[in-house]
Amino acid sequence: MLVNLPGPWNPWLGRLALSEIPYTNPILAPLFVVVVVLVLLMVAGITYYGKWGYLWKEWLTTVDHKKLGIMYIILGLVMLFRGFIDGLMMRTQQAMAVGPHASGMMGAVHGYLTPFHFGQIYSAHGMIMILLAATPLLVGIMNIVIPLQIGARDMAYPYLNALGLWITAAAVVLVMASLFVGDFAHNGWFGYAPIFELAYSPGVGVDYWIWTFQLVALGTTLGSINFIATIVKMRAPGMKWLRLPMFTWASLSANIIALTSFPCLQVAIGLVAADRYLGTHFFTAGFGGNLMLYTNLFWLWGHPEVYFVILPAFGMISEIIPTFSEKPLFGYVTMVLATFAIAGVSWLVWLHHFFTMGMGPYVSTEFSVATMLVGIPTGVKVFNWAFTMYRGRLTYTAAMYWALGALFLLLVGGLTGMMLSIPAINYMVHNSVFVVAHFHMMLLCIVYAIFGSVIYWFPKVFGYTLNEAWGKTMFWLFSAGTALVFIPMFMEGFMGMTRRLDWPFDPHWAPYLDIQMLGILAYVLSILAFVVMLYVSIRDRAQHRAAADAWGTSRSLEWLTASPVPFYNFAVVPQVNARDEAAWRREHGLSAQRASHYDAIHMPNNTGNAIIIGGLTFVLGFALTWRIWWLSLISLLAIIAMMISHSAKGDPGHVIPAEEMERMDREAERAMPRADLPRHSGGVLGGAIAYDSGAAGAGSRNLRGAPDHRP
Amino acid sequence: MFTRKWQPLRWVRYVALAPLLLLLNGCATHSIWWIFDPHGVGAKASFDYMMIDVAVMLGIVGLTAIMIVWFMWRYHKGKNRGTYDGKWAHSTTIEVFVWGIPIVAVGFLSWVVAINGSFAVNPYNPTVITRHLKPHGDPIEVDVIATDWQWLFIYPQYHMAVANELVVPAHTPIFFKLTSTAVTTDFFVPQLLGMIDVMPGMRTKDALESDSIGRYQGVAANYCGAGTSWMLFKTRVVSKSEFASWVHHAQQSTGNLTVAGFNRFAEPYININNKVEYFSQVQKGLFNQVILEVMQGRKWPLPMFMTENMVGYLKKQAAEHRA
Repeated sequence: MLVNLPGPWNPWLGRLALSEIPYTNPILAPLFVVVVVLVLLMVAGITYYGKWGYLWKEWLTTVDHKKLGIMYIILGLVMLFRGFIDGLMMRTQQAMAVGPHASGMMGAVHGYLTPFHFGQIYSAHGMIMILLAATPLLVGIMNIVIPLQIGARDMAYPYLNALGLWITAAAVVLVMASLFVGDFAHNGWFGYAPIFELAYSPGVGVDYWIWTFQLVALGTTLGSINFIATIVKMRAPGMKWLRLPMFTWASLSANIIALTSFPCLQVAIGLVAADRYLGTHFFTAGFGGNLMLYTNLFWLWGHPEVYFVILPAFGMISEIIPTFSEKPLFGYVTMVLATFAIAGVSWLVWLHHFFTMGMGPYVSTEFSVATMLVGIPTGVKVFNWAFTMYRGRLTYTAAMYWALGALFLLLVGGLTGMMLSIPAINYMVHNSVFVVAHFHMMLLCIVYAIFGSVIYWFPKVFGYTLNEAWGKTMFWLFSAGTALVFIPMFMEGFMGMTRRLDWPFDPHWAPYLDIQMLGILAYVLSILAFVVMLYVSIRDRAQHRAAADAWGTSRSLEWLTASPVPFYNFAVVPQVNARDEAAWRREHGLSAQRASHYDAIHMPNNTGNAIIIGGLTFVLGFALTWRIWWLSLISLLAIIAMMISHSAKGDPGHVIPAEEMERMDREAERAMPRADLPRHSGGVLGGAIAYDSGAAGAGSRNLRGAPDHRP
Repeated sequence: MFTRKWQPLRWVRYVALAPLLLLLNGCATHSIWWIFDPHGVGAKASFDYMMIDVAVMLGIVGLTAIMIVWFMWRYHKGKNRGTYDGKWAHSTTIEVFVWGIPIVAVGFLSWVVAINGSFAVNPYNPTVITRHLKPHGDPIEVDVIATDWQWLFIYPQYHMAVANELVVPAHTPIFFKLTSTAVTTDFFVPQLLGMIDVMPGMRTKDALESDSIGRYQGVAANYCGAGTSWMLFKTRVVSKSEFASWVHHAQQSTGNLTVAGFNRFAEPYININNKVEYFSQVQKGLFNQVILEVMQGRKWPLPMFMTENMVGYLKKQAAEHRA
């Protein structure tokens, strides 16, 4: 051992001992029982219906980008729920514990959570919501939509895609394990130096935090490589750069950010691990360590990460609003410029996360002005969405509700963000709940965009639309929750209430905290509405069967293929003629155009390696957390061996013959409703080129000489 | 329309709700809206900058919101209020404005608020305070040391110190030097001065001047472990004569703070019972000595009973509180 470990350690179990399982904790013990019962019920159910083989063949070993995307989204929704429960516990604690005379229970002086437990909850809440809820949800939607929007059969590296999912899943399991074995970090989701050092956080909580971070960073980096390669190399013929749908542009910029910034995080967290495991002094206060360096390194990733999650959300809004305005996106080119401007500036602003560190007015000013620069392209985006609606024909569907809700949250977030970007103002509200309310506006903007796009793209993936009435009910309940929680929180910020108080000391804050509890209640109801929406939609799916163009006014390429999307995406890779291809074909009466000729296609094979490697990374993370060296070494070696063996073996894939393609395409066509909605096939105008026969991403081939009214 | 009779008494009942207004104001001598009720020179300047920023931004954001709502209403499908043009997606004039308005606003705010403000309330040399340093008002120096989880305020000019209470004279610039023993936190008195990090092994600075005699709440604004929420200190701004007598009173106390004594004081302690301690004698150069020792590797490690399982510790502290 290179460090003085507080508490016992043995070579077989490391720091793990029976006493690390909090079976006496009145919150965790019953929760553990509930989780075990749920898991047993699921296992029993799958066994009873004999679905293990189906699960393994169709889902766990799949490399299909749509199925992986669905699993990403399920993962994200589950963690969104877990993160919400953390938020609920925090709100309850603060509402119970306000004022010096508030009573305490379960060992706490005020409220029901001890400070250390409270610290773990908000740390877990932050980390889960950003990295294990928002990120998987966005990556999931990107996974499903990008290949469809650019007319590709799958991602560039289908196996890497599966690997990214299962490593992210390993991170999720690791953070959930921290609930029931040991504890989680108490130092906030971004960690403060030097409180995460062994001397001030002697338990395994910070170690869980380190390895969860590392795993999710690895998974996301792998994913970003894949997205960039896919968008650059696998666009359908005719899909020139300036015909790329806005969501794909936004995802491209986001993934460039992810690819370049996540390594920063891995280095920062890796150095924390070195401090805690090897006894180095990177971020200690003494022995030449520099704790400010950690904060810089972390936010050097942390701020680009903020744009990594917000840019795809902007992209989603840019897809939903034009569809339901029946107009092309206003100012497409400036929109692309604005997106990349935000992505570029995201690298120059990290210091505004710690203006209070006292770096002097010259440095502060530079970062302050850079931060305000972000407001310019963001403002442009808002104006462009507004002018997309101008002279439009607006249909208020549930998806549109969420997109417009996101727009208004962005306005509030932008207003408060411009306040926080100014050091003179920032000093007064920096670590207050005002900041908490501000970034929740931005993150909820993302969540709104995600719910909007789940509703928007759901018929494309599953072949039927979600229930509109329940979607709108959920929207209003969720928005009531947002207003009731975060308006009082902004007000408390102006009352000087700082963040992360396990008991708010001023009794004057009590009524505002109580209002927030009402908001939490509204959120709970909105979750119920979401569940009802799913139930009702699945029950009535036969009546709500979607056509290829589920909304009738859709614009981009993904609405040309059948709903639900067959595993091969497009029976024949379409020829792209315009920026909004689906709208262009509709306007030119080519919607019902059918493919006249089919080619054999080449698809990747399923593989179990990805999930096995994912499982091994969980074992590695768990073993490192508990300092079980032998297990760490074995799992690491196993991962390397699996990687090498998979690469050496390669994947020959399989070929689907042309006749089979034709049969499947006709069948998908027949399965769709023959409603009055415009119908489309996966067909093409003239010279169709499947991507596997080469020439993918080639220039425009406007073979019929049809008027190309937009560049 | 107005068929119902005017009933004055109908309105009287709302008077019953008047006490609710107290919620807005509270029973304190000061407003509960601490950020909107600044009493320090720096806090006031920050408040003014905030108002300029909010006015400019609210102008733009508010108008944008109204415009969006108007578009939402006017172009609602089927209502036939606005004309539909499904091809219209570009206008150079509008593009110039959508880029121009944010650029002008950001340019204005950058100069007026970001750049000027950063110098005006720069914690190390706030020009709002330093530019009228009066020859007669000698500045007071206060060395602040944050421990896990208490505040120690050393007054080097008077060789005395007080823990968990800050007393400063009105109309006098106060210059703080700050450090921490174990972990990072934030020094913050919402109505008087903005946040500044206190970091172990490092020295930061801040300054304060207030013309309003009164009691204000000081807090540790950054999470620094289990005792954060109890790491509170009352800040009293008193008249100069009152300050002199307070210093005299403090100097009569028996407490004595050497480096060794400080190292004991800095042991982890959750200040549940709002303990305030006076030290009449403080070893010269204690502040620098603490920084030096931390840089050389001194730590105050947290025992497991203050992290993983702190129920017992809290029980003990709470019992002390009741006693």
